[in-house]
Amino acid sequence: MGQVNRKAPMRTPVRWLVTLAAMFALLAIPLLRLRGDSSAQQPSEEPPVRIPSNVAWTRETLALVSSGDPFRGLLLARRCNHCHGEEGFSAVPVFPNLAGADRLSFWKQMEDFRSGKRISPVMQVQAAGLSTRDSADLAAYYSMLPTARDPQDSRSFPQTMQDPSLATIAIRLILFGDGQRGIPPCQSCHGPVSYVNGAPLLAIQNESYLQDQLEHFANGYRSNDINVRMRSIARQLTAQEKTAVSEYYGAGLGPGVYSR
Amino acid sequence: MKKKIGFATVMLLVALSILSTRFYEVSLPVWHLLGGGNGPDPATLHLRGEFVESNLGAAQDREGFLTVRMIAQQYVFVPQCIIVPAGVPIRFRITSADAVHMLSFLGTDYGLKAVPGTVTEARFTFSKTGEFKIPCHEFCGAGHYAMRGQLDVVPQDQFSSLRPGERRTCGPG
Ligand code: HEC
Ligand code: HEC
Ligand SMILES: [Cu+2]
Repeated sequence: MGQVNRKAPMRTPVRWLVTLAAMFALLAIPLLRLRGDSSAQQPSEEPPVRIPSNVAWTRETLALVSSGDPFRGLLLARRCNHCHGEEGFSAVPVFPNLAGADRLSFWKQMEDFRSGKRISPVMQVQAAGLSTRDSADLAAYYSMLPTARDPQDSRSFPQTMQDPSLATIAIRLILFGDGQRGIPPCQSCHGPVSYVNGAPLLAIQNESYLQDQLEHFANGYRSNDINVRMRSIARQLTAQEKTAVSEYYGAGLGPGVYSR
Repeated sequence: MKKKIGFATVMLLVALSILSTRFYEVSLPVWHLLGGGNGPDPATLHLRGEFVESNLGAAQDREGFLTVRMIAQQYVFVPQCIIVPAGVPIRFRITSADAVHMLSFLGTDYGLKAVPGTVTEARFTFSKTGEFKIPCHEFCGAGHYAMRGQLDVVPQDQFSSLRPGERRTCGPG
């Protein structure tokens, strides 16, 4: 009797151990399957990874960009003035206007110039000497500049277009896009109806710069847009449509004194 | 007591093996609602993982099986035009970079839901050849009504096989 009593408490831990071992073994099977599955998911050979831009709109990035100090930006902007103009209005069309620029877009372009994801011999040099914080400060400064050169300037869009007949084409694309070709309305990303992160304001820009950028997105020379967003759209636009939207947005700063 | 332990173990194992089948990857947005899916971070799709832009479109593995990877985002699909052969099963893997989108392949019986933070996987076999529009069916914002992609289904002999590492889309990309 005494012996049996002694043996019983010995056996229970052994059973426990066996049960545990069996559990782990069974657990390991699904784990192995998971691993097998995930390696099967990846194609055996992947093409070289192409990264359009190192910028990602994570919470940290959004916080960094929105915390820019406009006064520091003002001081830094001195080195930009001779190209982009004293008040963010450039005198030469190849230098884009920066007055009233969207902060996120501005900051992203500076980062992309710095990393070489957007090619511009001039701007890559400029951006190389600036930190991410400098760019955020500059973005804060430029985004605050008024977008009307002259407060009494009351021009409105279609009247100042070089070719007003293109206005109809432009207005259609901006308001409605073209569902048949999968072109969403410009205003759904670039404002004022709604914005997506990193989309620049177009109404602050000059015509020939807009036209160039659309051309560059379409032929792939500019390919720093995240998830092929703007390239997909620009590729679908006809030459006439590119001219129409560029002229429309580039026609004076008109009533488009809108900001985010 | 022993029976209870045995029962508990069996239940645990059943639960674990159900989880391990990754059933939650297939179009169940529940996990997303519970706070975070199993899939990639919508903000960094372009930086790492299977949805980088160079990996989108149709891919073929060593066994010849086709997989199409896509991103839905406000308000364009990437790639905007996909091309597949008729009559063979094709695996779709799709995620969203922002809102929830719903694709339907007009003229076929198929549809797909794209949920941020989750990979939706499905297998479709297209029997008819032709061009099918892919409108978005879930309101996703101001540009929703013009959000539309295209699917080209071609006869099998017109779809030359893909080299490993090659990705195929129709149109300019
Ligand atoms: C030597 C002239 C020059 C100077 C100085 C210069 N830029 Fe530029 N910047 C350019 C040109 C040219 C472009 C257009 C690049 C292109 O065509 O892609 C440009 C483009 C930009 C853009 C992109 C705008 C857009 O919407 O696409 C930003 C932002 C910008 N510059 C900011 C700055 C800042 C900030 C500074 C000062 C630190 C600066 N630039 C100094 C010539 C200059
Ligand atoms: C799906 C959203 C979306 C729609 C719709 C859209 N864009 Fe864009 N666009 C963007 C984003 C995002 C960028 C910034 C790309 C980058 O990160 O460099 C951009 C950039 C641009 C630029 C470059 C401007 C600059 O200052 O560098 C131009 C020009 C432009 N878009 C024109 C248009 C026109 C014209 C339309 C309408 C036909 C349009 N976009 C519709 C998202 C959109
Ligand atoms: Cu949608």
